[in-house]
Amino acid sequence: MNQPILPPEPLTNEAIAERLTNTAIKQLDRGLIKKRNLVYLELNGCSGNIISLLNGENPDIEYALNSMVNLRYSNSLMAAEGENAIEKLMDTLDEDFILAVEGAVALKNNGLYNIIGSWKGKPLTGLEAAKMLGEKASSILAVGACATHGGVSAARPNPSESVGLQTVLPEKKMIKLPGCPVHPDWFLGTLAHLILYGEPETDNLGRPLMFYSTLIHDRCPRRPFFDRGIFAEKLGDKTCLFKLGCRGPVTRVDCPTRQWNGHVNWPIGDDTPCIGCAQFGFPDAMAPFISYDTTRVVKDE
Amino acid sequence: MSKRIVINPLTRISGFMEIDVTVENNQVVDAKTKGNLFRGFEQMLIGRSPFDSVYFTQRICGICSAAHSMASSLALEDALKIVPMEQGKYLRDIIHCCEFLQNHIRHFYQYTAPDFVKIDQNSLFQADHDDFRLPPEINDRISRHYFESLTISRLAHQMLAVLGGKAPHNHGVFIGGITTQATAEKVVHLDSILQKISAFIDESMIPDVYDIARYYPEYFQLGRGYGNLLTYGSFNNYKELGTLYVDPLVLTAEGMQVFDESKIQEKIDYSYFTAMEDTYSPREAAPMPDMDKSDAYSWVKAPRYNGLPFEVGPLARLVLSGLYNNGISAMDRTIARALEAKKIAEIMKVLLQQIIPGIDVQKKYELPEAASGRGLVDTTRGALGHWLKVKDKKISFYQIITPSTWDFSTRDENGYYGTAEAALIGTPIQNPEKPAEIGRVLRSFDPCMSCATHVYTPGKQVKTIKVF
Repeated sequence: MNQPILPPEPLTNEAIAERLTNTAIKQLDRGLIKKRNLVYLELNGCSGNIISLLNGENPDIEYALNSMVNLRYSNSLMAAEGENAIEKLMDTLDEDFILAVEGAVALKNNGLYNIIGSWKGKPLTGLEAAKMLGEKASSILAVGACATHGGVSAARPNPSESVGLQTVLPEKKMIKLPGCPVHPDWFLGTLAHLILYGEPETDNLGRPLMFYSTLIHDRCPRRPFFDRGIFAEKLGDKTCLFKLGCRGPVTRVDCPTRQWNGHVNWPIGDDTPCIGCAQFGFPDAMAPFISYDTTRVVKDE
Repeated sequence: MSKRIVINPLTRISGFMEIDVTVENNQVVDAKTKGNLFRGFEQMLIGRSPFDSVYFTQRICGICSAAHSMASSLALEDALKIVPMEQGKYLRDIIHCCEFLQNHIRHFYQYTAPDFVKIDQNSLFQADHDDFRLPPEINDRISRHYFESLTISRLAHQMLAVLGGKAPHNHGVFIGGITTQATAEKVVHLDSILQKISAFIDESMIPDVYDIARYYPEYFQLGRGYGNLLTYGSFNNYKELGTLYVDPLVLTAEGMQVFDESKIQEKIDYSYFTAMEDTYSPREAAPMPDMDKSDAYSWVKAPRYNGLPFEVGPLARLVLSGLYNNGISAMDRTIARALEAKKIAEIMKVLLQQIIPGIDVQKKYELPEAASGRGLVDTTRGALGHWLKVKDKKISFYQIITPSTWDFSTRDENGYYGTAEAALIGTPIQNPEKPAEIGRVLRSFDPCMSCATHVYTPGKQVKTIKVF
């Protein structure tokens, strides 16, 4: 990186995913760029990222599905089932495709704690599928906390021995989109960038700078309370939530300006601390999420 | 002649599921349902701050995360002896309503409809079977609604975020009801979106489900199961409003009775778990995994009520509330989900009318050194229970029985199958090479394996297969 990355202005920041995706769609319509294949693999997790993607509005997910990519495999959405579904997954291996993975890779029992299907009568583990598809994919997106670093699936004592995708594909370059779940704009904006201009600029941990450049704390609307030392004592208070355990000071992502679900609200707007779900190390490094005794007042002697 | 059919993965559900059935003379004679991922939430929760369980347990499930925040908040209120204000309860229940609407709309259009409707726009919807009977104009209309419904389910999540901060995995549901306060602007925002969702349910979803039912009438005869129904109660027990939906009830061949939580037991006779006893109360024991146990055939545990397997979910609630009496079958389950969406929208409207803006229900909570509590609540898929214990201000025990654990349990020592297994047995399979019936019957239960598999692990036979 030669140039310093400045915190984007709120307007630019909110518009960025929409502008990228609209441009991508226009260029696709004009035949200037080609629709790419997308394989969406769900591994060991809660399938909350695909549910979050259904909430996408910039563009909406139906437009993305029909106009931006050929979605070739999705456990949650595809009509086929059983080996017929897995066959569609295998068919993509000989073609060019973008791989998006949500969920962690379970290593225990040789991966058998997470079986995603059956192929030729044998169980296909998430571990096996992640390696096989990861090696062939032209680009890889690790979607959500479980895929980027293990997330909740790897929370201690990590009974399934789950790890992030990079651990099983150590040599492969991948774009990491942490979050629990991922915001649909972070995913769709990154996907549009990939289709239009190739891989977006990332930090040294693989996160696209257009979404993950700036600390929540640096753009928090409650920052003036922090600066003046006015702190909330319980949930529901309208001041700085730092002393209840807010992880905004360590979490790099654009929630304060982007917000969630059509930009209507976000955790701090709901008078609760940020729990650092978009930061590496979530959840264990961010726990406890809520505490009423994070700091104590030392009385003058 | 006997034929074994294995479907893995059963797509269009939340999480991973394998189904293994034996077919003789074109009829299912045996069935096993297996969950195919394991994360071990009950073990992960030990040692964490009890307050964290509200946000942590939501990560069990992406499509019904608010359900877990409800159950864990109720369990903590029980343990901490906190009685929430009615305004807190109303607001929390409104968040829960939003999740019902999101879930039921997505389950019907994204998960169920492709079983019956040919969606041509996209190769993703290419089916394995060819049993599509809808006339073109109805087929096209429901195909269109598949995509239109995404706007509507997205709006349901937007309503959830207005009060809950974000969705999935909300921040709003907590001890005492809700974290934030209602404002006039928020109430109007919710009401305006709710009108759009209600119109879609009335004008699109309910006509669509009845049209599908008309062309697939035999599904009113398929997938019945034992017919035992259970609910922990839903949108009930309000001080002034009383019961808006259904009280805690059970229905068996002997008739309807009031639900008694002391009759819930988990059985592990045929599961790869060991405990002091093979039958235990959920607040007593969390058994340890044991793959070498003789007679065991699955990792799935078997919750029972009064010794019997039960069906939970929208159909159970509608029948127990007296609002539906057409029968119990795969198609009735699917219809019930659409009718319940309408009912929930009506309940949400009533709750919104009770809201007084600006009431702060939060306090600074103190943790006891030792306590125990349980939260039982009916959620989108049915009866959900969280049981927890606190010791030295940390979680020392956590037990979760999800709705899909009730519906997809294993058989037991009394010879009962799991509810969904029993529903499959006897199902005629027209073409065993392209079986459409199995997926249709199973999806009518809205299986959520992300939820159920916090206790599931793969079956024994796969353990011995070397994959690579």
